[in-house]
Amino acid sequence: MLVTVMAIVVAACTGGSVEDDGQTTTTVATTQATVTTTAAPATTAADLEPIKLGSVNSLTGQIVFPEASAAAKAVFDRVNREGGIDGRPIEYLIEDDAADPAGAAQAARRLVEDEGVVAMVGSASLLECAVNGAYYAEQGVYSIQGTGVDPLCFASSNISPVNTGPYLGYTVSLYFASEVLAKENVCALIFDIPDFRPAMDAAIQQWRDLTGKDLAFSNFTLQFTDDVTPFVLQARDAGCEVVVSNGLDVHYIGFMQALQAQGIDDMAWVGLTSGYTAEVAETLGSMGAGSGILHVNSEFEPFTLDSPVLEDWRNLMTEAGVPLTSFAEGGYLAATIMVDVLEGIDGPITRESVSEALLALEGYEHPMIGSPYSFGDAPAHNPNRASKFLRLSGGTWELATDDWVVLPTG
Amino acid sequence: MRRGDLVLFGSVAAATVLFALLPPFWAFLASSAFISALLISSVGVVYGRAGMVSLCQVTFAGIGGWVVGYLGVATAVPYPVALVLGALAAVPVGVVIGLPALRLRGVNLAVVTLGFAVAVSSVVFVQGFPGARTNDPVTRPGLVAGERGFMVFTAAVFLIVAAALLATKRTRLGAAWEAVRHSERATAALGLSVSLIKLSAFAVSAFVAGLAGGLLAAQLGFLNARNVEPVDSLVVFVIGVFVGAHHVGGALLGGVLGSFFPELLRRLSIPQDVGPILFAIGATHILARGGRGLAEHLGRRRPAAGGDVVVLRPEGGAPTRHRADPGRDLVLRASGIEVRYGAVVALEDVDVEVAQGRILGLIGPNGAGKSTLVDVITGFHRPDAGSVTVGETVLDGLPAHRRARLGIRRTFQTERTVPALGAGEYLRLAAGGHLDRAEVVELLAFLDGPDPDTPVYAVDTGTRRRLEIMGCLAARPTFLLLDEPAAGLTEDESLRLADRLRQVPERFGVGLLVVEHDIDLVAAVCDELVVLDFGRVIGRGAPDEVLASDVVAEAYLGV
Amino acid sequence: MIDTAIASLTSGGAYALLGVGLVLTYRMTGVLNFAHAVVGAFGTYTAIVAFEAGVGYGVAMILGVAVAALLSGGIGVVMARWFAEEATIVRSTVTIAMFLGVLVVGFRLFGDTPRVVPALLPGVRLEVGTVTLTGSTLLSVGGVIVLAGAVAWFLAKTRTGIVLRAVSERPITARLLGVPLRTLVVAVWAVSGAVAGAAVTIIAPTRTNDYASLAILILPALAAALLGGFQRVGATIVAGFGIALVELMGARIPAVARYRTVVPFLVILAALLWMQRKEVWDEAR
Repeated sequence: MLVTVMAIVVAACTGGSVEDDGQTTTTVATTQATVTTTAAPATTAADLEPIKLGSVNSLTGQIVFPEASAAAKAVFDRVNREGGIDGRPIEYLIEDDAADPAGAAQAARRLVEDEGVVAMVGSASLLECAVNGAYYAEQGVYSIQGTGVDPLCFASSNISPVNTGPYLGYTVSLYFASEVLAKENVCALIFDIPDFRPAMDAAIQQWRDLTGKDLAFSNFTLQFTDDVTPFVLQARDAGCEVVVSNGLDVHYIGFMQALQAQGIDDMAWVGLTSGYTAEVAETLGSMGAGSGILHVNSEFEPFTLDSPVLEDWRNLMTEAGVPLTSFAEGGYLAATIMVDVLEGIDGPITRESVSEALLALEGYEHPMIGSPYSFGDAPAHNPNRASKFLRLSGGTWELATDDWVVLPTG
Repeated sequence: MRRGDLVLFGSVAAATVLFALLPPFWAFLASSAFISALLISSVGVVYGRAGMVSLCQVTFAGIGGWVVGYLGVATAVPYPVALVLGALAAVPVGVVIGLPALRLRGVNLAVVTLGFAVAVSSVVFVQGFPGARTNDPVTRPGLVAGERGFMVFTAAVFLIVAAALLATKRTRLGAAWEAVRHSERATAALGLSVSLIKLSAFAVSAFVAGLAGGLLAAQLGFLNARNVEPVDSLVVFVIGVFVGAHHVGGALLGGVLGSFFPELLRRLSIPQDVGPILFAIGATHILARGGRGLAEHLGRRRPAAGGDVVVLRPEGGAPTRHRADPGRDLVLRASGIEVRYGAVVALEDVDVEVAQGRILGLIGPNGAGKSTLVDVITGFHRPDAGSVTVGETVLDGLPAHRRARLGIRRTFQTERTVPALGAGEYLRLAAGGHLDRAEVVELLAFLDGPDPDTPVYAVDTGTRRRLEIMGCLAARPTFLLLDEPAAGLTEDESLRLADRLRQVPERFGVGLLVVEHDIDLVAAVCDELVVLDFGRVIGRGAPDEVLASDVVAEAYLGV
Repeated sequence: MIDTAIASLTSGGAYALLGVGLVLTYRMTGVLNFAHAVVGAFGTYTAIVAFEAGVGYGVAMILGVAVAALLSGGIGVVMARWFAEEATIVRSTVTIAMFLGVLVVGFRLFGDTPRVVPALLPGVRLEVGTVTLTGSTLLSVGGVIVLAGAVAWFLAKTRTGIVLRAVSERPITARLLGVPLRTLVVAVWAVSGAVAGAAVTIIAPTRTNDYASLAILILPALAAALLGGFQRVGATIVAGFGIALVELMGARIPAVARYRTVVPFLVILAALLWMQRKEVWDEAR
């Protein structure tokens, strides 16, 4: 009885469904923005059916990635202001999965079946690839991921992220440690994140295969809630010259704090792009920790530096009020690629034609990334194999590599 | 099944059909609702029905989902079979987790189960679920491959499980769960093994949760650790408590809320994290209105007021003889019983003997050790020395419920009937075997009991005390130990009770041991008296002699 | 190995502090407070926000503890007013709901980024062998000792402490004797909130301190309190240090490292079953 009542109530509240055609101005909740269809007046886009694009993001909860979709939205809004794609406006639907698998599944189904999006772009979620990868394949929907996080973002036929990701990124970081910093004893401290272990193992193996070297010491059991001091001490006792670790920005702060507290200053540290934030540099600077020790990688052109390559990005983000972070770079890039793809399609823009175009997409170059982006029909996609590295100096990031460190395809 | 339940089942079926007409997205939501409802039902079994806190239900679901995933990847077992196998796989885990429940209760058990959830999550689930790494999802067979078909499937599974759980209410298992929830001692005194009952509740609960997990795995393709986090078990438990998960409607309400509420928030453009906040406030509010849950409040039948209870009076005529062969009367013997609590002596060198067909009275001032002696004889307390035998059989070492099964029954000083059962149900539970309606009515009439369908909570304490005795008699015991049966009775009622008790040995073939303070009753009823004071026997013999003796007067009056 | 043992002291102290808070709340008010750690985290984060806004360090810390006390006292009011008659399990279930609520509100207010919590005694160092004891470690261990002593003295020697013990055993009697039950209960909750705030603030600088990670400290706190049977403060303290030690020791042994979160659980389970082996029957029933 209650089920029926609730269904009727909720159905009555909806704006529309797949069966409806035309102007469904369905508003979708986010913490950041509500997205509507209407393009700005004065240009031609208003009368034609919008091109629906979707994204599933972790926007509320413990770990959030709001900037990627916000950046993508800024790109699409600008496109709409300038007349849309062949006159059609882009309707960009941003869904929040709240880092909950059921939420991610519901969001994907809503976007794909209810809204009928032609593709997904700019998604940044803790788990939506794992949850929805098979579903996208089943439905013939493709996704240019704004920030790939979980392993299946890089192991799915229908998902190709613009970022390197924590696994290949780890391989690149190991490569940087052993080949560019040229250290002998390379060690690994790895946080045990659910489901990520096999991908980490594969990443390390890839480095072994490429360089013929091996780790002097490793510990894969760190938990997010741990005090990192014992592990730092372990690494010191094992004679590590450089430690490569995964984790979030706080963890790098924690590691540097521990090094400082224990008076260890002869061990270098390499971290993933999650450590590359302005706040990390400022915080460590104010503590006087990590200077000259901590290196982080940037999977796109480093945003803390004044590179001319980033001028358009910087302006657009500032104008749209999106924070300047690497996630915003990813969202911008994903949206830019999608716009290029859409514009390159002859004939009507439908899910089928977009999918076809993505399957044919190879060798897409962009100055913000060090290796060309591609989709294609491979069973897995991890096109971004290049990083630039930065070193902490005082309270700011300095460039540690002049050019991109590109992982050889071995 | 009650009419209300039939209506509910019918509505659910109708709603499912309705949803099948909507776009597939709604079917997906409905499937989620049924899966959640199933998970909440599992809380209803272990906590709502059997009274044990379990904060690891989602872990059981995870195990079910894991096995289903594994079977999907590594074998060609068809999905419906895999689903059942997954649920069965969760059962031994449930039993293992139930083992601490035999000694731990309340918050201790809660934290242990939570610790278990964390342990399994961090060791097993964190490695990933089968198929996730290789991108090999659980495939659903043709009919249920689509969202609508799967929704019908989950609805069917839920309804079948709900019907089965409802059916247990009529069975001994259901009554036994209810008894354990109310009082472990009462359950043992009824001859039921508390351990087995508790483990069975955990086993069934794990099975139901495992089913939910297997369904979830098929709905999503594969699970990952975030589907089955320990926090989710906490949430499911809270929902289970406040909706009243042991009712079908309650579980369904919880499932619907969990699935449709986020969707409602979305439609109203309210951010998702408002949901948990509203949940926290709502749960607090509902729990403040009573701990048995929303469904119970909504569906509570008014208990009959005392005056409406039909009390059966015995008919005239010769009483039925249940007496066994008088030539083979057994003797219950407790010899040399000693019980110490540290330096305090509760019982010292106590010898007591009751023969079948006789009535022994045990009297003495408060604190003399009478109840302790009853506890020792019936197995509720292990003596430090001494032995209890019935005929040739030595009872030492046997737990209470085994002695009850062997025919040693007792009542408690504070009555321990099971309030939520019907009077007839209670007698049947106590009887442990078959008890037809005629016998039930006869037993109830013997001691002025209520109508068999009257719930125990609806009758007054005096009737409940007599009901407890009736329960014991229903089991056709060889010996019956009554602990202050006349406490709180009026003089009339005492006389009536005395009259009945006198008939018991002849009619039911038992040996009675009656602990009492009411000297008149004892004098009228008993064949022999034993007097205890400070844990020692200070007098023994025929009532008039004993009651007239100086030793006894001194003990009672302190003179 | 010694370094690991010493390194575990900070965490151990925090687990012990939080565990003792749990035991106190349970003993005095009959509620297992699942929201204990998250309330403390809420207070700590309020302090951080204040500190970042320019408030002086000491003031910010006191503010944080006060906020935690206030929040916990609020929960106490809810408990005393609406749940005074309910069973322990129902009341404890309510705290689970509270835990979720405060968790989500905290996410919204404080965001998900971990903050830098300046160490309370920066620059304080004690060299012990090859390991350096930081100020946080000293504070953590010291805090536990001080708190344990204070609790023991309070319960045994002060009038209010004795009254509280009486109240927790016989609330109805206490009420009949005119003891202001509700006020006392709320006071106990507020104090336990303050203790949680202090404990989380001490531990926050030494580990990943995003809001959720701090809230999840409830788990080791529960484990420590469990080992104390929710009754014995001393056993809880020992358990808190023990759990931290076992966790970190486990990290060093490769074979066991993966399972080190299970070990405390197994140990506690074994210990509990041993302690309760004679308890055949549940108490009141």
